[in-house]
Amino acid sequence: MSTAAPLPDLRTEYPPHAPGADPKEPSTLLGLLPGIALLAVVGYAGKFVEHFINTYGKAHHLVLPNIEYVLWAILFGVLIANTIGLPRIFRAGVATYEFWLKAGIILLGARFILGDILKLGGISLILVFIAFAFSLTFMTWLGRIFHLGPQLTTLLAVGSSVCGVSAIIATQGAIDADEEDSSTAIAAILALGAISLFTFPLIGHLLHMSDHAYGLWAGLAVDNTAEATAAGALYSDAAGKFAVLAKTCRNALIGFVVLGYAIQWARKGLASRTATSQLDNKATFLWKKFPKFVLGFLFISLLATLGSSPNPTLAALGFNKAQLLTLGNLSRWAFLLTFAGVGLRTNLKDLFKQGARPFIVGAVGEVAIAAITLLLVLGADHFYHL
Amino acid sequence: MSIQRSRLSTDTWAIVLSLALALIVRIGLLKTVAW
Repeated sequence: MSTAAPLPDLRTEYPPHAPGADPKEPSTLLGLLPGIALLAVVGYAGKFVEHFINTYGKAHHLVLPNIEYVLWAILFGVLIANTIGLPRIFRAGVATYEFWLKAGIILLGARFILGDILKLGGISLILVFIAFAFSLTFMTWLGRIFHLGPQLTTLLAVGSSVCGVSAIIATQGAIDADEEDSSTAIAAILALGAISLFTFPLIGHLLHMSDHAYGLWAGLAVDNTAEATAAGALYSDAAGKFAVLAKTCRNALIGFVVLGYAIQWARKGLASRTATSQLDNKATFLWKKFPKFVLGFLFISLLATLGSSPNPTLAALGFNKAQLLTLGNLSRWAFLLTFAGVGLRTNLKDLFKQGARPFIVGAVGEVAIAAITLLLVLGADHFYHL
Repeated sequence: MSIQRSRLSTDTWAIVLSLALALIVRIGLLKTVAW
């Protein structure tokens, strides 16, 4: 299936390789430090500008818009990456932003007790299933209308309904899609993710959504975990927290979706022998695809829950309030590095190289999915008071 | 395959770092982190 010119590898979610760098190039801890330092500088610059604007507004009795550090960090990153470019020495370290994202999510477990996770996670899962069924059907139909190949259509559908780049890469092997289809789908999903960073908070404010409802919506509708976290945090700290929870629920389903596609393609006789042989042990297949960091998130949350137990023995096993606050702040610092990385890895030229048709299919699909999930979340908010 | 391996590795390292930090906070070596 050939719809566009060959693309550079955009899978920067996966350390150690960075934009334009050779994925096989080994990284040492020392080699990562310059890039990590750059993430810290760019992220902190965002936090500094937010603080400066707020302080300046208060000192001069001015009503200035409260723009979260998230947006500044991403903008500074985009500006650096697309003007002076990212020197080679920083690339490996910048690519660790996915690592900081996962560490941030695990530590965020300290800000949830298991009861919250069960309640909101349960609602999220139900909404994920409904949105997922809609998006797969709709994207497949759109792909046919625009004459995209079945592999590219499948990758776009999975990327927009489950969890962005991770889902595309996981599905690529299962359906034997080629690198070009995979790169095209990834580019479309990343471009749309970048657009959603600016549109979602605006819509949320226009509709006066609560932090809970907005966070749930961002987590359900924005594809990539980093962008979903950023879109949530752009609205408010609390919304960021709920966006991560909803997105984590989506991520946890990745194995089932990939397994479903692998079985379907094997039945049709379209999968290679290697892809089909992976299906011999379905439990192993699911475990391999399961995002393990979710277990870390649940474990920290369990310790947070124990800490608030009325039983002194159980409470002694968990974290106290001061410790939870410290862990929550560590999570915020990890996310700060992530948001800087989101900006620094965004190459505007590459994002729009993938050709018009996959982008249009992705964009139309995303708008429809965002609208459907918005209605679902507003409905759930009305009935369950999120 | 190499991609899957590195994904697993990122998850594992993220868990290791987070649990190490949680342990350091739990035993009181790190009391407060400002935000």
